[in-house]
Amino acid sequence: MFDKSKSSPKIDHDEKCSGSARYVSDIQIDGMLFAKTVRSPITKGIIRSIAIPALPDGYYIVDHHDILSQNFVKMIYKDWPVFAVDEVNYIGEPIMLVVGPDKAVLETIIANIKIGYEETEPTFGFTKSAVTKGFKKGDVESAFSKAKTIIEETFETGYQEQAYIEPQGMLGYPEGDKITLIGSIQCPYYVKNAVLNCLGYPEDQVRVIQPPVGGAFGGKEEFPSTIACQLATAIAKIKQPIKLIFEREEDMLVTTKRHPSITKMRAALDSDNRVIGLSAEVSIDGGAYIGLSGVVLSRALIAVTGAYTIPNLTANGNVYITNTVPTGAFRGFGAPQMMFAIEMMMNHIPKRLGLDPLEFRLKHLAKQGDLTSTSGLFRDPIIMPKMIDKAIQISDYKQKMEKYAHDATRGIGMSFFLHGCGFTGSGETTIIKAKVKLRKDEHDQVYVLVAAVDMGQGCRTSLHRVVYQTMDLPPQQVTFDYPDTDDVPDSGPTVASRTMMIVGGLLARASLKLKQTWKPGIKQEIIEQYVQPSYVVWDEDKLQGDAYPAYSWGVNVVEVSVCPLTYQVKLEGIWSVYDVGKTIDERIVIGQADGGIAQGVAYGYLEVMEAKQGKLKQKNFTDYIIPTSLDMAPTETVLYDNPFAYGPYGAKGVGELTLVGGAPAVAMAIENAIRRPINRIPATPELIMETLGHE
Amino acid sequence: MVRHIIPKTLQEALTYLSEGTFKIMAGGTDLMIQKRSTAGLPPKIGQDVIYLFNLAELRYVSRGDGYLKIGAMTPLEDIYHHPDTPELLKKVIYEMASPGIRHMATMAGNIGNASPAGDSLVALYVLDARIKLQSISGERILPISDVIIGVRKTIIRPDELIAEILIPVDNFNVIVWRKVGGRRADAISKVSFAALIKRNAEVIKDIRIAFGAVSPTVVRSRQIEAELNGKSITELRNMLPSILEKYATAIRPIDDQRSSAHYRRQVASNMLRHLIEKEI
Amino acid sequence: MNKITFTLNHQPVALELDPSMRLLDVLRDHFKLTGSKEGCGEGECGACSVLVNGRVVNSCCLPLGNVNGQEVVTIEEFAKTKRYQVLKDAFHDEGGSQCGICTPGMIMAAESLLNQNPHPSDEEIRIGLSGNLCRCTGYNMIVKAVHLAAKKGAGLW
Repeated sequence: MFDKSKSSPKIDHDEKCSGSARYVSDIQIDGMLFAKTVRSPITKGIIRSIAIPALPDGYYIVDHHDILSQNFVKMIYKDWPVFAVDEVNYIGEPIMLVVGPDKAVLETIIANIKIGYEETEPTFGFTKSAVTKGFKKGDVESAFSKAKTIIEETFETGYQEQAYIEPQGMLGYPEGDKITLIGSIQCPYYVKNAVLNCLGYPEDQVRVIQPPVGGAFGGKEEFPSTIACQLATAIAKIKQPIKLIFEREEDMLVTTKRHPSITKMRAALDSDNRVIGLSAEVSIDGGAYIGLSGVVLSRALIAVTGAYTIPNLTANGNVYITNTVPTGAFRGFGAPQMMFAIEMMMNHIPKRLGLDPLEFRLKHLAKQGDLTSTSGLFRDPIIMPKMIDKAIQISDYKQKMEKYAHDATRGIGMSFFLHGCGFTGSGETTIIKAKVKLRKDEHDQVYVLVAAVDMGQGCRTSLHRVVYQTMDLPPQQVTFDYPDTDDVPDSGPTVASRTMMIVGGLLARASLKLKQTWKPGIKQEIIEQYVQPSYVVWDEDKLQGDAYPAYSWGVNVVEVSVCPLTYQVKLEGIWSVYDVGKTIDERIVIGQADGGIAQGVAYGYLEVMEAKQGKLKQKNFTDYIIPTSLDMAPTETVLYDNPFAYGPYGAKGVGELTLVGGAPAVAMAIENAIRRPINRIPATPELIMETLGHE
Repeated sequence: MVRHIIPKTLQEALTYLSEGTFKIMAGGTDLMIQKRSTAGLPPKIGQDVIYLFNLAELRYVSRGDGYLKIGAMTPLEDIYHHPDTPELLKKVIYEMASPGIRHMATMAGNIGNASPAGDSLVALYVLDARIKLQSISGERILPISDVIIGVRKTIIRPDELIAEILIPVDNFNVIVWRKVGGRRADAISKVSFAALIKRNAEVIKDIRIAFGAVSPTVVRSRQIEAELNGKSITELRNMLPSILEKYATAIRPIDDQRSSAHYRRQVASNMLRHLIEKEI
Repeated sequence: MNKITFTLNHQPVALELDPSMRLLDVLRDHFKLTGSKEGCGEGECGACSVLVNGRVVNSCCLPLGNVNGQEVVTIEEFAKTKRYQVLKDAFHDEGGSQCGICTPGMIMAAESLLNQNPHPSDEEIRIGLSGNLCRCTGYNMIVKAVHLAAKKGAGLW
């Protein structure tokens, strides 16, 4: 189903199949100690007393007293402690590490640590706002005052857990005054900078190496920095190698997840039944500490109009702090919540008015030259009409809509969506300032030096290909090792669907330069730094302008059957059409398509994570249900070219696009089957039953 | 100092069981997880352990005296593949857990664990399975419903092991199994439903209905069944409201991390209604 | 102290270790065979899959005492076989591996399946892999890989 001639051999395939790839928990260092984390069992309170049992020789406690410089994990705000000091704010908040050579002894020590808490009143729900953002487009008051019809709906989404199969973990060791960390991470420089901040070390005394990573999906974007600061503090104190690997339940309970959200939408329609105004209020649950929630909120607000152009708009939102596990990055980063809201809204409005939903939505599709939600410009061609036609054709959408119109057990749904590629707004120029390096040795072997992490998405293979293809070299003449901050410049984090477009783009330029200035047998080095295309103008305070340099587009069609006895949903088929600019490696892009939609659809109907009074009810793979091979339906994906001038060979972002449309597609399919509106995901059998009024 | 005994024969096992108090390790698929510590450390079983999984004397599927006899340590996958295994039990095993688990899980483990959500138990109840408990002093054979008395509670004595499951060989016209889990494989049942019916033309000769995961133990009511036996299909359908009400009273579903009492109750009712209206 | 004797990767071994230890820990910590991974520790994800008497099992819930007298094969040993080569190549062609953490387990499960059923249908493959969770691929490319391996490796199984 994909063109193998347009795919490179995967660099790391053999080691992954044979089990010889060494993920962090596979690595052993002589004299290595183990660390386990002692955590708060309560949602909120003051630490009144800590009693540590007498420690055997070679066992240590590492806590806030051992912090060398700053006791916060460097992200954007300073509120996230490395170790709790005198208060705790969520179940699972780390208080200290216990470190030593024997795991059984560690367990005994931990069992005998007595911490006295004075519990205080926790906050849940959307009451305590920590970040407020908003923007306007056009004149929404006027639109509402002229409106012929006003429709208001509220949409809710739940937690989603990344559920990477390799739990989080890190291994570190000292070399003289230097500390090296090997971690299951997405962003070597995020980790390095967080550790530098925490320890106050000079720049050349912290080294971060990325080994093979067993899945991440955003869950290893910012969270590992917490582990890194704790581990580095411990290594600075104890001066021995230490390994810290999370158990699955621990991982599930304490690491970041997708933000639960509530979105209130109010649409103003004119007498032609066109949406002339939209007012959206977005609330996301940030958990106990802000982390990256402000940026998630930004991306969510910007995504509020989805694939449509709405001339008058007001989008406001808040990050609410609650005494639950801090939420954070997860593939899509605020967009999945919004694609669900806007797609369901644009499906519900025509249904309420007795109009054909497909025609209604097509009428509002964004076009080249339109202003975006933040009054930037859709500069590049948008080929959505062609993509939608293709999706309709390959899925038999229209015939099935007709056929299933009176069949409560079958339904089909189609979602339209986009994803802004790269960091939101001016992040690339003001914060990341990505740098890539190509080094050629005297044997004319070229080394690709970037901080991009291959966590399964295949960037080692695809970026490698960008370089050897641009330089017209045989693949073996180019080497792409796992990133080591001692060796690679900061090309930015492996997030935000930026790796091919931005890092790949820089590598393509560097490759061209090296090719053009090639001196055989001589050591050479080319550095290329990111320069934002001048047309991208962004006001971060007002959230106005071009939020992204480019957009990728997608259509997902999902067909379901709904069991009338049990309300269970079975996926019958999935069809997708994507515009990612240019497909560098088809096998890799189809892999992203299949994997992304599995997560996106499951977000819509299968994956349940609930918190009750700050306690997560699902904390392991038995209770947090992700799809098995039997749950997935066959997928068919079509890729269209629509080259972006500033991406390598025209490539835009892929990684997140393939997730963000899955939930609305399956929700619409379920809606069409049961002929009742779905306003909340996951649309579980329990919810379907409730919606049908069968309680 | 915890003792770990790996007996070579059944007799050796019974001797040990008569002399000490042991936790019986069958396949380990429940016990190893229930008692687990952290990665790298053995589980916290907290008492002497006796490993019976590989006892050849407890692994067989054979017919005799009108029963299908299953050795209690036979892995579920082997029970599934045996030609004499009743269809209902095959249907149940087919949807249980995963291949890796089915290669290790046993009836001994399922019964000993006595989980309220145990799928195979529902089949055993409705098949009128009898369980042979063996000790050094002899054996006793009891209906499964007498063996399991509560959540993870059985009447098995410390000196006994589960030796054999005896299922009366029989034929049914209608065999129904519905497992309602969170996904299509590897799922703990939210609610499960089994029914076996024998009829003679339009008259019900033998109707057996059981629900799983909606009560501390499998719900099967011989009292209700007695009122249904001997009735015609038409009569049964006319009795539907009272049948639904009687079973609604018999089940006690709860809210938990997997589902809600409401859902379990409604789905149980739906499946029962469908049986009476469409499947008998 | 109990002596547990079994065959590990076609070699006889005798261990004096706690028989309630998880086989996964024995393999990883004692024998340094880190090809079997811990993804969940509760028998759900299959990343710890090994073959016992040719059949796939979850080594995270298998006590050492239960392999006494049995044959255990890990991915490291299976990787020396022709069948493995066929599976590895098929996984490559069809894109059946992304981050790779589930891959050794998937290959063990595929071997167990093909051993019993050399020409499985789509549904039978999905059932055979139903105990192995993958978060990266959405499974379809893995299912295609197993199909391709069955076809290309005709006669091997």
